[in-house]
Amino acid sequence: MMASYHPLVKRLLDGEVSLAELPPELQAEGEEALRLVGAANGAPVALSPALEERVMAAVRSHAASPGNRAWRWLNTPREVELRLRVRPWTVWAGALAVAAGLALLLVGRPASGPRPGNEARGGTRDSVFVRFVLYAPGARRVAVAGTFNQWDRSAAPLVPAGTSGVWTTTLALPVGQHQYAFVVDGARWVVDPAAPAVDDGFGRRNSVVAVTAQGAHL
Amino acid sequence: MRTIGLALTLVLGSTLTGALSAQDVRAQLDGRVSPEVQRAVRGIAADAAARGLPVDPLVQKAIEGAAKGVPADRVIAAVRTLAGRLGEAREAVRAGGVAAPSGDVVEGGADALNAGISPRQVSDLVRVSQPPQDPALTLRVAATLAALGVPPKQALELVQGMISAGRSPSDLLGLPGEVQAGVARGATPAQAAAGLARAAGGTPPGRIPDWVPPGQRKPRNPHKP
Amino acid sequence: MGVLLGFEGEATDAEVVRAVLAGDVERYAVLVRRYRDRYARYASRMLGSRDVAEDAVQDALVRAFDRLADCREPDKFAGWLFLILRNRCYAERRRRQRQERPLDSTDEMFAGPDRPDGAYEQVERAHALERALQHLTPEQREVFVLKHMEGLAYEEIAGVTGATVASLKMRMHRAYDRLRELMKEHL
Repeated sequence: MMASYHPLVKRLLDGEVSLAELPPELQAEGEEALRLVGAANGAPVALSPALEERVMAAVRSHAASPGNRAWRWLNTPREVELRLRVRPWTVWAGALAVAAGLALLLVGRPASGPRPGNEARGGTRDSVFVRFVLYAPGARRVAVAGTFNQWDRSAAPLVPAGTSGVWTTTLALPVGQHQYAFVVDGARWVVDPAAPAVDDGFGRRNSVVAVTAQGAHL
Repeated sequence: MRTIGLALTLVLGSTLTGALSAQDVRAQLDGRVSPEVQRAVRGIAADAAARGLPVDPLVQKAIEGAAKGVPADRVIAAVRTLAGRLGEAREAVRAGGVAAPSGDVVEGGADALNAGISPRQVSDLVRVSQPPQDPALTLRVAATLAALGVPPKQALELVQGMISAGRSPSDLLGLPGEVQAGVARGATPAQAAAGLARAAGGTPPGRIPDWVPPGQRKPRNPHKP
Repeated sequence: MGVLLGFEGEATDAEVVRAVLAGDVERYAVLVRRYRDRYARYASRMLGSRDVAEDAVQDALVRAFDRLADCREPDKFAGWLFLILRNRCYAERRRRQRQERPLDSTDEMFAGPDRPDGAYEQVERAHALERALQHLTPEQREVFVLKHMEGLAYEEIAGVTGATVASLKMRMHRAYDRLRELMKEHL
């Protein structure tokens, strides 16, 4: 069982100190550690050129499929700018640093729940796009089920979009009042944390959203 | 009035009369609930339909229970409870002066009762929800406010205050969002609602506003943005 | 559409995303070409196999297209795609664990140039590190890959993963010790 690296050696590997700054008794250990990290193969990995054609074939077939709601954006008026509102106690809001083009900038004001568009335009005359968002780090799958899809757990999956832990989907909902809940990992029913919650009659709660021609409301 | 009527029709959604036929009920439940639940729910639904109550919420509740993996007896019990609540709601709405309420108003009343609003409060709210207000909408807003944690009495006062102040149905629909924003800023739901009631600047709750015929406009409340 | 043929190398990500959203589906190929290899190294190291990485990258690109309307800032397409890929890699990892499918041998990734001067130990060490990486937890592996192969700073890694810098360093330091143990014959 090898001993742990000395904390100074670890800082060397992190790039915070140089080898020359290490005391003499740690030089050998420092050099060994640098050999370890130096073995990291930074050579670029090339994937098969055929990948491009496979992706584009899938893309073309998805784009041509008119019935599938997921690609409705190709055929319907643009959804309005949706404001993502962050719950005030959500940890990651503070931890989000803008990193060299690799982080998604999320701005907004506190609250969460379905994201209405104030000038919402629907794909059809009597439905409105509503975005559902759930912060569920550690979830393997998330879906939303409600009165608008017969509580079908597989009808409306969410996808990760944004920094780690954020799941989202956008659905076209008919006008009217709807109850819904998120389903995490196929079995755990979770209410929308900041939408109004009503007793579902089974000892649990459902979230509610009211959709009008003007947009979606809590 | 015509334009407002259209907007309200949209809000009312699909269950205008709740007139689902027995065929429809069977078709909706088939494959989604167990045979035992289906039998029981079809009976409850037939009974409700005979009494003139909306049937769709009962069917939805059964489907919901099945999807959530709830045992059959509990699903049936919940559907039965809901049917009872719809009946109670209709009585309360009638007591508020609407002799033949639509399915949507009855459902709105049931939502309100479910959220902890009393039958008496339902009647009061219906009474003040004269055109251009629609009781289906005002009841839903009150129910949503209560679901957000606003005490029922205050929820009612807020909605009634907005109505008295001549606010539009859209303004009312925005109330839950405003309460939530207040909560996010650190207020309790009750405090947020109280703040909004003050801002609405209306007359004390309970007073029936003058009905303004189409083509004329009431003087705007100076506090309205 | 025809006017821009041949100039696609100069169009920004945001321009291409907007063109695709406006209906020019074929333009998506620009983004596919641009990003096919960019995240290949990350995916290969995270998954321990180039073949599996290729599937993950392919899926991520298709999924990014499906959800293109959700990409709220088209000029951050690169980061957004990366996050989709990252989730896909984690999901693939979990799926393999559940099915108890062992990962492919990592040897296939080393199509490096021959080293005529016989720097055999270096190549061996590189192989050993690749294998050792697969024995770390996914979180440890990721911070190591992002810092020592992709060259990101801790703050940047924090932005991508949502973890704090402090917890990332803790993971990394555990990874160093674990790697030392796993690679002791090669150091």
